[in-house]
Amino acid sequence: MTALSSLYTALSGINAQRRVMDLTGHNVANAATPGYHRQRAELQAVGSSVPGIFSGQGSRNFGVNVIGVTRAYDSLLAARAQREEAGRSAATLTSSTLGQLESLVPEPSENGLASQLDAFWGAWSDVANQPDSPAVRTQLLSNADALATSLHRTAADITSLRDTAIAKVVTLAGDANGLATEVASMNKAILSNPNGTLDLQDQRDVVVTELAKLTGGVARPGQNGMIDVFIGGRAIVSGTQAKALDGAGGTLRWAADSQPAAVSSGQAAALAATITDIVPRYLTALDDIASTLVTSVNALHSVGYDQTGTTGRQFFDPAGVTAATIALSTDVAGLPANIAAGAPVLPGPTAPGPLDGEQARAIAALAESATGADSKYHSLVTGLAVETRVASRRADLQDQVADTANQQADSVGSVSLDEEMANLTAAQRAYEASGRVMTAVDDMLGFLIEHTGVVGR
Amino acid sequence: MRVTSSMMVRSTLRDLNNSLGRLQVSQTQLSTGRVLNRASDDPTAAANAMGLRKQLNRLDQRTRALTDARGWLESADASLTSGLDLLARAKEIAVRAANSGGLIDTNARLAMATELRSIRQDMLGVANTTYGGRSIFNGTAGGAAYSAAGVYQGNGASVVRDVEAKTTLAVNTTGPQVFGTAGGAVGDMFEVLDRLATAVATGNDAGIAAEHANLDNAAQVMGAATVDIGSRAARLDGIQARGEDTLLRLKTQLSTIEDIDPATVLVTEKAQENAYTAALQAAAKIIPPSLLDYLR
Repeated sequence: MTALSSLYTALSGINAQRRVMDLTGHNVANAATPGYHRQRAELQAVGSSVPGIFSGQGSRNFGVNVIGVTRAYDSLLAARAQREEAGRSAATLTSSTLGQLESLVPEPSENGLASQLDAFWGAWSDVANQPDSPAVRTQLLSNADALATSLHRTAADITSLRDTAIAKVVTLAGDANGLATEVASMNKAILSNPNGTLDLQDQRDVVVTELAKLTGGVARPGQNGMIDVFIGGRAIVSGTQAKALDGAGGTLRWAADSQPAAVSSGQAAALAATITDIVPRYLTALDDIASTLVTSVNALHSVGYDQTGTTGRQFFDPAGVTAATIALSTDVAGLPANIAAGAPVLPGPTAPGPLDGEQARAIAALAESATGADSKYHSLVTGLAVETRVASRRADLQDQVADTANQQADSVGSVSLDEEMANLTAAQRAYEASGRVMTAVDDMLGFLIEHTGVVGR
Repeated sequence: MRVTSSMMVRSTLRDLNNSLGRLQVSQTQLSTGRVLNRASDDPTAAANAMGLRKQLNRLDQRTRALTDARGWLESADASLTSGLDLLARAKEIAVRAANSGGLIDTNARLAMATELRSIRQDMLGVANTTYGGRSIFNGTAGGAAYSAAGVYQGNGASVVRDVEAKTTLAVNTTGPQVFGTAGGAVGDMFEVLDRLATAVATGNDAGIAAEHANLDNAAQVMGAATVDIGSRAARLDGIQARGEDTLLRLKTQLSTIEDIDPATVLVTEKAQENAYTAALQAAAKIIPPSLLDYLR
């Protein structure tokens, strides 16, 4: 232990505090950087190291060492935040898809399918009142045409929701591949330089979160500080390797063997639900409405009689039993006189008088059938409304859950300016004090140099 | 829990966002005047609203049918009233012709016979009354109800209107129901008038007396038909009054479900606006301070 070594003790303090101040500056500079975790210098007293067996009191060292820099990071909280973020993007996307679907069936209003159905049945009722009026019959045909067109449009709109989702899956696969490659390359960088990669780890977490939002991928710590990402138990990132996904046709598959990827969260899960469940389900319900309409009207119309006593005519084309294909039959399209408003006279059946409107009245009464198109449409709208509401509630809830998870992760990792300022002040004071120690030692040395050894001069 | 300024900024932003979202809901309600802007706002209410709208539309159809039915019955009533007048005049002539015995001269008898024939002609006009271009005593057949010769050309079918839920009303009366059945010993009104004219022209007092009695019967038949039509019209009045009540009730219910209560929404909106402003002010005060402001 020499006087000069005391200088070095002070110097170690100065160096360490400068390092602390550097990190504080780094933290403050990154206070708003997404994904950044505050970093701390790990200080250790030099003397605290285990002394060598033969070293005695005289060889003890003093001072401080910066033994490393760590980031404030709780891997459990971070993993939870990632998972909830993935859940949030799935719930939000599902909710918005259902919202779009709901806007395609604008009820209750004057411009939805319900009022067109009412107008259609009303037109039948008018024909029943005035079977002899060509104008009223023409009105019925144009109402029926408008109804069919509405069904076509709604079906096309719903189908286009699916098409959009399929296109999104393709884009999503590309994006996910890009992100996976990025994670793999960051893994590689971290592997080659295990120290001094804290910022890189933060960035990697951001990318992994993005990947989780898209695919619901789950990150697991791998070897040597690397991270593996799994989708449905299969690795998309494994160490420095990234596996490609393929979204062609709207199904997310592994490019290597074309097996479907088992996504359970993230946008991919919401898109898969849209493509394979939501859209087909509502399209089927709409088709059912169209087919009910065609069957029930035709069943009555084909046994009815027109004004010339002809029977056996179809009103809707019997071949068009989906919402996309429903159309007037060639029997009546453009031929209002062929509408069979007259009811068969039983027993017989024989043709009624030319001005009979009983069959039209019977068809108009289909409006109130409990198994008719109207009641099916009502249950479609109500079902959709409930599903949309539930999805929107779930999205709100997931939003809160994800926010809370982020909040908790943030509470560990985010930069607190107050804290940094306090640290800065402490470091500054410690720096000054170390300087003072250095001055004191310097003074002592100066005193020895100046004032010793002058006896007898 | 450790709290940092970035966490506070984030949660403040989220709260502001939520507050603004609630404000937006209120403002949408105010600007559209509707509580129920999408079915998912309240699925149960939406289902009710759709049901009510459907009932309203059905009611509208029934009101159209009812107006049509009223037209039929009123035309029939008017034409039968004039028919009864014609019959009364015919009876008057028959009485005069019968009372005169052999005293009346041939020319006068022929004149009375001519008038009776023109009454028969007018009666044919009554029988061919149309409503909206359609003969009302014709059943469901097309064209005129009676030919110029007085032969019924229609059928016996009813013309029915849906005037109320689960209630239908036949709006027509067929020719035979009003003017009697053709053929047989007596025949219909036109045959009676024909025979009466001939009897008057030939001075056949026994014939005149017999046909006079037949005319009385015909008047009773026609009178009964008029009463029947009147009672059906009276039923329509009751149905119409009920329909108007129902319309009012449905509209009130629909409005209760779909429309806003302006006072409530305005107050809510104002409260949310205040809450939002307060949140903004609080945010402006909370976010800036940090230790930085107090260190020199």
